[in-house]
Amino acid sequence: MDPSQAGLVAIGAGLAVGLAGIGAGLGEKDIGAAAVGAITEDGSLFGKGMIFTVMPETIVIFGLVIAIMALFVL
Amino acid sequence: MFLPESMSRIMVVGTKNRMDDAINAFYGEKVIHVIDHTTGDDGLSIGTSNSDVSKASERLLKIRALEKELGIKKRTLTEDIAVEDVRERISAGDVEIVEKEILSVVDTRNGLTQLISELNAKKETLELLSKLPLTLDFYSGYRSISVLVGSVTADPASLNLDAEIFASYDKKNGGVVAVFFRTDSRDAVSAALSEIGFTELQVPSCEAVSPADEIAKIDAQVAKAVEDIDAAEVQLLELKQKHRSFLKGTDEELAIQVEKGSVPLRLAVSKYSYVMDAWVPTSKVETVKQHLEEKLGDDVHIEVMEERSRSIEESEAQEPRFQTVPTKTTNGRVASEFEYATSLVSRPKYQEVDPTVFIMIFLPIFFGFMVGDLGYAIPFIVLGGYGLNKTKNKDWRAIALVLFLGGIWAALFGLFFYGEMLGMHFVGGHLEGGEWIWYHDNVAVGGTAVTWDWLLGEQFPEWFCNLIGHVNPEGTHTGVGKLEDVAFLLKLSVYIGLCHLFIGHMCGLYNKKIQHGFKHAFIEKGGVIMSFFGIIFLCFGLTDFMFNKADITEGLAFYTLVIGIVLLAVGTAINMKAEGALQAILGLPEHIGQILSYTRLAAIGMSKAGMALAFNYIVFSMVMSTSGTGVMQGAEEVIAFDPFAAPAMLILGIIMFCFLHLVIWTLAILSAGIHSLRLQFVELMMRFFEGGGVEYRPLNEARSKTFFKNKISNINEV
Repeated sequence: MDPSQAGLVAIGAGLAVGLAGIGAGLGEKDIGAAAVGAITEDGSLFGKGMIFTVMPETIVIFGLVIAIMALFVL
Repeated sequence: MFLPESMSRIMVVGTKNRMDDAINAFYGEKVIHVIDHTTGDDGLSIGTSNSDVSKASERLLKIRALEKELGIKKRTLTEDIAVEDVRERISAGDVEIVEKEILSVVDTRNGLTQLISELNAKKETLELLSKLPLTLDFYSGYRSISVLVGSVTADPASLNLDAEIFASYDKKNGGVVAVFFRTDSRDAVSAALSEIGFTELQVPSCEAVSPADEIAKIDAQVAKAVEDIDAAEVQLLELKQKHRSFLKGTDEELAIQVEKGSVPLRLAVSKYSYVMDAWVPTSKVETVKQHLEEKLGDDVHIEVMEERSRSIEESEAQEPRFQTVPTKTTNGRVASEFEYATSLVSRPKYQEVDPTVFIMIFLPIFFGFMVGDLGYAIPFIVLGGYGLNKTKNKDWRAIALVLFLGGIWAALFGLFFYGEMLGMHFVGGHLEGGEWIWYHDNVAVGGTAVTWDWLLGEQFPEWFCNLIGHVNPEGTHTGVGKLEDVAFLLKLSVYIGLCHLFIGHMCGLYNKKIQHGFKHAFIEKGGVIMSFFGIIFLCFGLTDFMFNKADITEGLAFYTLVIGIVLLAVGTAINMKAEGALQAILGLPEHIGQILSYTRLAAIGMSKAGMALAFNYIVFSMVMSTSGTGVMQGAEEVIAFDPFAAPAMLILGIIMFCFLHLVIWTLAILSAGIHSLRLQFVELMMRFFEGGGVEYRPLNEARSKTFFKNKISNINEV
């Protein structure tokens, strides 16, 4: 692969993970704040709070998979 | 192991005059979970609490107040005390005697504390007055003259009054002023004083002594009071030593008495009898019945009402208060430590699989797989072992156990799978025709990967190299590289995920089968499982086609594609019947999301390996010295590690090395711990777990500070 092409692939991979991370972070921000509030009120809600908080995280994994595919498969 | 223990409902009817004995007998069984009676139209009413309860709770309050005064806490170690002694002493009025003894000292101490604060306030006033050249008798005893004494915030020199003024002032601390004036000019004086921020002081004594002498007197009084307080504290300490065992024992005994005395409030009573409904583990029903009949004879009748099945329909057909069955988990000693993790989500219902065992198995394995490093594993094992030894708190014990077991898995993966310690592979090259060849990414040949054999300048023996796993069939024994064999680790993660999810789906199917029967289960979960497998086959075929350029029209790729599409179609069709078309179709991409979610197993390992690679390169190849003269044979660029060339850099390097790896280690707890927990909570448990069970709380005397002296008189005997 041409070095400039390889560079573009690397940039694309970085963007895939980075943008997905930002998106997930934005999603988790509000849920996390609400979950912490709820846990302060009632500690037994930790598990449920955690489940809801990590829901958007899967998006990062998608980003990561795309990045790895870009780096190793393309 | 997987389902909560089977429960039966019993009804106990007995004569009211032996209710206390009966309650003692119920407590003795330790397995009876009382169902609270609610008033209905059955002609029975709720019982009233035992007459001794109010006295016992009054005493309990006193005891707890005394414990607070003496600083006896829950964790304070005390000697155990015999129940018989405690009861005897309570009935002899010892609680009141001890209370009197302790409170008299406490009152003395409190009185002295108050005295000291009063004396200190007086001393403050006198300190202000000592700045004026007057003895205390000057401030009172006049007929036509009034005196105002007080502190001021501005300079009193500005006062222009027809009065005798004594003042002392400095800018930093403010001042004090005493104004002697004719009584009829009080208003003018007050107005003038208020302009310089006057606050009146009460002059404490009218004797002809100077304030300084009075201060000395007060100091002596304070010193005496402090001495007395110390003596009182010593006395309280002695009382604590003397009574702590009795106080804690009485606290426990009275709490049990109050609890027992309140049991009638949960039962139904008529004029001469009581009725108790209760849940008892099915395996214990006969024993309980036999014991109670032995103890209470003809005064009790026990009827086994039902053995509750797991069917939801059967439960719903019952009276509301009999619908919910308490969940008694059946986990062993180790597994029960993980119940805490399950309880973070919810308590399992009576009619469903308890996920605790799966958490026990998978949580440490996932943790270990993600950490995968011998160097980080050892502190985890040590920390976990220490925690298990020291702590009794169930939350901390659960965390310590995860660290301990996770550490063991991390060590196993680190040694045999990744062949790695502190982010460095053990082996960085191999022998080829008797000559040692470094791998190209080794720091010895200009790469970035530091390895232990390069660091130590020694090659590991062959048997050790053979222990470490490898991906490439050619047999390079470096272990699986978290950063080199990414594709392999990702695939492995996905396969682990498939197994994990499959277990979740099968539990879901099983739950529905026991709750509603197989037909219902097949319609509700069968379609989901079919589409799950459909997606797997479809994706397998597609990835084969995309990445391996396999021919999609023949061979394995073709068959998997066809199987995938068929399963997907059938599964979706069944799902449509169960959940509706929209849900069924929307549910399909979720399967992919769930499976790919497991790639975090590889990804988190990668992130840690990446950090470790960078840190190790900084420490060993940049900070610590290396020399160009090779001690190892091989390629031209071989450089050997020589830490002693620059001792200062060696020390700096070691400090940096410890600190940087501590950072990775701490992050490992957070990321590996949280993510392995998440995979259990979200990916596994959401496939089958509903939760919302009721805790099984049998009548049981929780004694830790008191014991029965005589076995014959224990609670099993009435």
